[in-house]
Amino acid sequence: MTALAVIDRISALLDDSMQETSNTSMRIPTALRDAAALAVKELGVASSTTSLTTSALRSVLEAAVIQAVLDEHYQHHPEARPDLGDLAVAAAEIDGHPLSAEPDRLRSAAAEILVRHPGATAEDVVLWAEARAFAA
Amino acid sequence: MSRLVLLDNEAVLALRDASHPKHRKVISHVQVITSRQRRAEAIDAAVPTAVRVEAGWDRRSPAWAFPNRLRIADVPLDVAHASRAAAFRSATGVPVADAHLGAVMDLTSATRITVITSDPRDMRRIAGDTDLTIVSL
Repeated sequence: MTALAVIDRISALLDDSMQETSNTSMRIPTALRDAAALAVKELGVASSTTSLTTSALRSVLEAAVIQAVLDEHYQHHPEARPDLGDLAVAAAEIDGHPLSAEPDRLRSAAAEILVRHPGATAEDVVLWAEARAFAA
Repeated sequence: MSRLVLLDNEAVLALRDASHPKHRKVISHVQVITSRQRRAEAIDAAVPTAVRVEAGWDRRSPAWAFPNRLRIADVPLDVAHASRAAAFRSATGVPVADAHLGAVMDLTSATRITVITSDPRDMRRIAGDTDLTIVSL
């Protein structure tokens, strides 16, 4: 199967009404199972451990599918791939962060942080730029 | 805390077309949303169906395959949204799609709202007292 065919198949499965269920023989760490049961019972994080597990699994799969779509898009349109500066500006804009009005400062911070932290996230850049602005 | 990111007509058109001058900017926002979702943050992207109509976003059309695959949720113009949108349109005279955006802002259960738009002035007018973050295209 091609990557897009896999993506479309996973998406179709995620869009299913989910009425049909299956028992699984999936083995998970006992401590994780117990932690989930406790979180459901005492913290009310979900209606059941099954609900908690399926919800978490769905979220991970949906995000993975979207990232796969974006990665496939970047392969065909490399000019569309945002750099860390673009992502920092976008992150600040989404949050309404005051530094969103200073995109050049964010791009400069992205260039600086990449030198020592190649795995930095957009939010790392915004925090770094904010710290620099505060110190100045 | 949960955040809902809404797209207006221009954002949808920019997302679809890789040669659109704002394509990379809108993609940047989608990438940030996706990265946060992968970290289990409560953030979602959505488009009111009236915006889809205005943009010509037909989910059955192969021309819209890329936006379709991004799993951006539809917010239907149901009874509650239609009533609220009608009230907005009567009060402000904004287009139907913008009125639907306003209704979504008003009725969403998300605690934070961001709208990506080419028309920040209208969005501000529609939002009223709603705490809204506007991203201008």
